[in-house]
Amino acid sequence: MVSKKKKIKKKPLSFQDTILTLQKYWSKQGCILLQPYDLEVGAGTFHPATTLRSLGDQPWKTAYVQPSRRPTDGRYGDNPNRLQHYYQFQVLIKPSPSNIKKLYLNSIAVIGIDHNENDIRFVEDDWESPTLGAAGLGWEVWCNGMEITQFTYFQQMAGMECKPISVEITYGLERLCMFIQNKKNVFDLIWNNDGVSYKDVFHQSEKEFSAYNFEHANTDNLYKIFNMIEEEAKSLIEKKISLPAYDQCLKASHIFNILDARGVISVAQRAEYISKIRDLTKAIGKIWLESQK
Amino acid sequence: MSEFFLELFSEEIPSKLQSNARKNLYENLKKFFEEHEILIKGKLNVFSTPNRLVVYVDKITKQISRKPKEIRGPSIQSPAQALDGFLRSNDIKKTQVYEKKTEKGEFYYYRKPSQKISTANLLSKNLPNILSKITWNKSMKWGNHNLFWGRPLKSILCIFDGKKLDFNFNHLKSSNITFIDKELEEKTKIFNSFKSYNSYFKSLGIFIDQEKRKSFISNEIIKLSKSKKIKINLKNNLLDEITNIVEKPKILFCDFDKKYLTIPKEILIITMQSHQKYFPTFDNKDNLTNNFIVIADKKDSKGLIKLGNERVIEARLNDAEFFWNKNRSQNLVKQVSNLKNVNYFKGLGTYFDKVQRIRKLCGIISDEMLISKEKIEIASSICKVDLMSDMVGEFPELQGIMGGYFAEAQGFDKEIGLAVSEHYLPIGMDSLVPKKPYSVALSLSDKLDSLVGFFGINLKPSSSKDPYALRRMAISLVRLIVENNNTLKLRDLINYSCMLYKDQSFEFDTKLIQKDLSEFILERLKNYLREKNVRNDIIESSTNIFNIDDILKIFKKSLALNRNIKKDFGKDVISIYKRSSKILYNEKENLSEIIGSADPGLFKNDFEKNLYKRIHEIRKYFSNISKFENYDESLKKLSLAKNEIDAFFDNVIVNDIDPVIKKNRLELLKMLCKSFENYFNFSKIEG
Repeated sequence: MVSKKKKIKKKPLSFQDTILTLQKYWSKQGCILLQPYDLEVGAGTFHPATTLRSLGDQPWKTAYVQPSRRPTDGRYGDNPNRLQHYYQFQVLIKPSPSNIKKLYLNSIAVIGIDHNENDIRFVEDDWESPTLGAAGLGWEVWCNGMEITQFTYFQQMAGMECKPISVEITYGLERLCMFIQNKKNVFDLIWNNDGVSYKDVFHQSEKEFSAYNFEHANTDNLYKIFNMIEEEAKSLIEKKISLPAYDQCLKASHIFNILDARGVISVAQRAEYISKIRDLTKAIGKIWLESQK
Repeated sequence: MSEFFLELFSEEIPSKLQSNARKNLYENLKKFFEEHEILIKGKLNVFSTPNRLVVYVDKITKQISRKPKEIRGPSIQSPAQALDGFLRSNDIKKTQVYEKKTEKGEFYYYRKPSQKISTANLLSKNLPNILSKITWNKSMKWGNHNLFWGRPLKSILCIFDGKKLDFNFNHLKSSNITFIDKELEEKTKIFNSFKSYNSYFKSLGIFIDQEKRKSFISNEIIKLSKSKKIKINLKNNLLDEITNIVEKPKILFCDFDKKYLTIPKEILIITMQSHQKYFPTFDNKDNLTNNFIVIADKKDSKGLIKLGNERVIEARLNDAEFFWNKNRSQNLVKQVSNLKNVNYFKGLGTYFDKVQRIRKLCGIISDEMLISKEKIEIASSICKVDLMSDMVGEFPELQGIMGGYFAEAQGFDKEIGLAVSEHYLPIGMDSLVPKKPYSVALSLSDKLDSLVGFFGINLKPSSSKDPYALRRMAISLVRLIVENNNTLKLRDLINYSCMLYKDQSFEFDTKLIQKDLSEFILERLKNYLREKNVRNDIIESSTNIFNIDDILKIFKKSLALNRNIKKDFGKDVISIYKRSSKILYNEKENLSEIIGSADPGLFKNDFEKNLYKRIHEIRKYFSNISKFENYDESLKKLSLAKNEIDAFFDNVIVNDIDPVIKKNRLELLKMLCKSFENYFNFSKIEG
């Protein structure tokens, strides 16, 4: 173990090796390795493998990467720390095991962060997602003052109390790698060991999507699409088809995020849209749970 | 005497929950010890680290002796269940009770014999209950367990008199073992006394006692500030918070690039203090420096911790600089119309609507306060624009302050910038109050507009709930007026404000608002007087004869009365009024006919004449008084009637047989009382 650590320090992990290492680690802990959900979402939490699977009493362990879209965070690729599209590595375990802190600290040790040399802190952060009707208690994990992980015990999901409680660990992969690779700019991250950088892979996309999100998205159409999707979701809920209904919910949520980035949503409207999505999620949570019986 | 030692080991408990849990545990245990007559020598200590909540009592009674005691049970006439209940609750048989007659009837009695109870038994029986009574502001469940705790509770160590004390608490069982590595929770160790526990952790550099940890941190910081010739503010909540989030503090002296010092200092301070929990530092002229202090929870053996923290602040300040440069160049005036897209509150329009109302209110106030109407109107127009900036989006607590900076950067008049910057102040009872007239006018108009609006749509605070912080807003309003010697007539302003809402087609019941809001503001004024330690009887009487147009007057008179009431002349004022009003108001029959105008032609003696003369002098004084009344002086003036009233009561019988004479004397007293009542309602003041 000690000799391995030394090797890592000589050459920090590339972005893709970080993902591979984390996947291998959590797979060893019994997690089912899933692939990203194939819809635009704001965070790994929105993947049905987290939202829906955290409901009910069936044990569940999973780990996956989830590309996450935050239209308002786009900076045309000019800002060293902000992206409208980034990667989260998500772990969800139900019920939360009592040695989860150890599992977590070992997981960052295998990618090169040794808690004996770095100041790892668990800083209060109570999490809430109004669109998911979800809430949890936990921390953001700081490594030498930088937030590298969200660590949350779900208390409520889709408006329902969780029992048993799931624990969710969300690594911000870019931040984590910036720390491991000692980079000040996210675009300088080393993607693989053959000289490909994060910039090569994503710079154009950041530029173009920022322009789309902030300038070009056709808001009139988006409003219409939102309404169509909402309608679809409602009809699927009536028919008690939970997973396709949940897909509609994710789509609506993303449309809302783009409208928000375009700056056309007032404070009052905002609350209204959020409550629309939340109502859908709650209804879907219920029918999904019923379908599990 | 024995030692009692308890440790609750958990995952990291947030700072505020920790402080609260300590307080709770202390109070619950203290109450428990008192109730059960358990004596302790020395202190009841409650310590905490992020992971450990510890109770330690050095010397505690090992055994409690209870004297025999006769306990009364139910009446012998009551149904059988009552007796059964009594037997059960005392854990006794029917043969152990006897009947006894008392004045109230015949009852069952039980003589409880003297008892020796072991503290250990009592503790193990009651600790689960004591622990479950800790009230967490936010608590959680984890795994499959049903226990609610601040964060997952992992183990309980409990020692009494050197031995482990057994009890069960939900899914956990107490033992004499705890985790010694908070990170991985792999290593455990047995402890049989607090001393060995404390010295073990001390050897690792861990302070269990938060007070010792706190003084260690502050001493280290003071040492550092002396050697580096910098100033650090330790008198804020940050030190307490940091104390609660580390167990073995290490002080790191760090810096950031000097170029960021051109960003407004509030942004730098919030970034360091609130977001990163760093101590900002200042030079001897109180200017912010590029040095800051990190309290790490680990020795920085490889320098990684310092480096990492410096990189984090660099990234954050880089972002802040980007927004600052972007926002400060965005023309404030041109952005005002964008406020139409920002809702203020449902039923009260957008921020654009609000700003229009504030601007007009300010216009009226500017006439009263003799300030430039043009300037105050500019200030009100731009005061909410910063709400749309990225800067305030990132740092909501800097609303107003950022607007002030933007105004300054764009060359607005200094007074305008300051007014924008300060217009949210004061925030409640403790914060600074703006003193510059433009700031006062803007702050006052903004608050009055909000109060009228929320009362208008009937979202008044209830006795327990005040979600829109209207109480705080009204207190701020009172402070703005009182602490600036302001004499604005609030009733007119409220009417005008209602009209402004009406112009925007928000229709309110003006009369109702006037009534409810007056009461509400006067209640806040009373609270404010309470803060100033004014006597309760004075406070309760203070608003009886005045309304919200007289806030300053009410405040000053109450304070004047409060500070003089124990002096001789103060006592005289009260006694003069009490004596006169008692006679006068006991006269129930003709009271309504007594209007306070005595006829000097009916006077029978000099005592009446002298009193009449004195009343005239007092009246003359009050009618010549300017708006700069000296309230102490006025009280003294009233007290001068002492001689005349004493002589009057000693020598004159009010209740004359001639009803005309009697009425004239009552008229005289009424004149006197009226002069007093015009100053203050003395009727409920205790002498």
